[in-house]
Amino acid sequence: MVTTKETTDEKVDAAIKEIFSSDKPWVTIVWDDPVNLMSYVTYVFMELFRFPREKANELMMKVHTEGRAVVSTGSREEMEHDVARLHEYGLWATVQHGESSS
Amino acid sequence: MNEKSLEAQSGFHRHGNLAYVSNFSESECEILINLVGQILELLGERRDNHGDDLLAAMIGITSHDSPPDDDVLLRLLPNAYADQVDASEFRRYTESTLRAKKTANAMSMRIDLKSSPDGCVEVDHEGANAWLGAMNDIRLALGVRLNVQGKSRDDLEILGPDDPLRGVYAVYSWLGWLQESLILALMDERL
Repeated sequence: MVTTKETTDEKVDAAIKEIFSSDKPWVTIVWDDPVNLMSYVTYVFMELFRFPREKANELMMKVHTEGRAVVSTGSREEMEHDVARLHEYGLWATVQHGESSS
Repeated sequence: MNEKSLEAQSGFHRHGNLAYVSNFSESECEILINLVGQILELLGERRDNHGDDLLAAMIGITSHDSPPDDDVLLRLLPNAYADQVDASEFRRYTESTLRAKKTANAMSMRIDLKSSPDGCVEVDHEGANAWLGAMNDIRLALGVRLNVQGKSRDDLEILGPDDPLRGVYAVYSWLGWLQESLILALMDERL
């Protein structure tokens, strides 16, 4: 059953490739903090990411109600840049490898 | 200190298209200068440790691998990764820049306050962002001391009259209100 074996090999190859893949994006996560004002968090998102007010407000609410939200996705370098700028404004943010922004 | 009399007076409002203005009383100026001075002092305590490595000093490598022991400094200079190895590496290359930025914000706020003897502070957009960052750092610092993380708002509202934290909470609340007034002015909304 040559064809079946090939299919299995292909599946294994694909699985291995996914494990070592560097395509998985890095994400910036902002965590809820009892000190930061809701309006401030919205303002910082608008200022840093140029999000329209509505989107910035939605993300802020996600942080507030769910405790955290993914605010940007991309390369590790880009996420480190975002986290550094969020820290400048005093938001509690971390870089993490691989997580959907859902 | 009477928080009501403080709240009655100041707050930022938009002035023209590009300026934001607030009139502070003498006591408000004193309080803000004092608080911002404490932030500068705290940030100054965490010095770079380059040894003789001038190149490291030039490119801003702090050689701080570990997070600050002080809870307030740790909140101002937080870890960027959950993983300790990644967090240390990131801190080594970036903490000095973060401290410089926070120091610049605080200095900017202090200069604005000290250079306006009548208590009238006027800032542009960039200056407003420096104030927001500095006011937020002060609130983060006070928040750690008040243990805001572990207490409800009600817990803080009912602090006894003799509790030294009561005054701290009054200042913390007032700063939140002041910060909000500037944010709303920047977003072009009325308070």
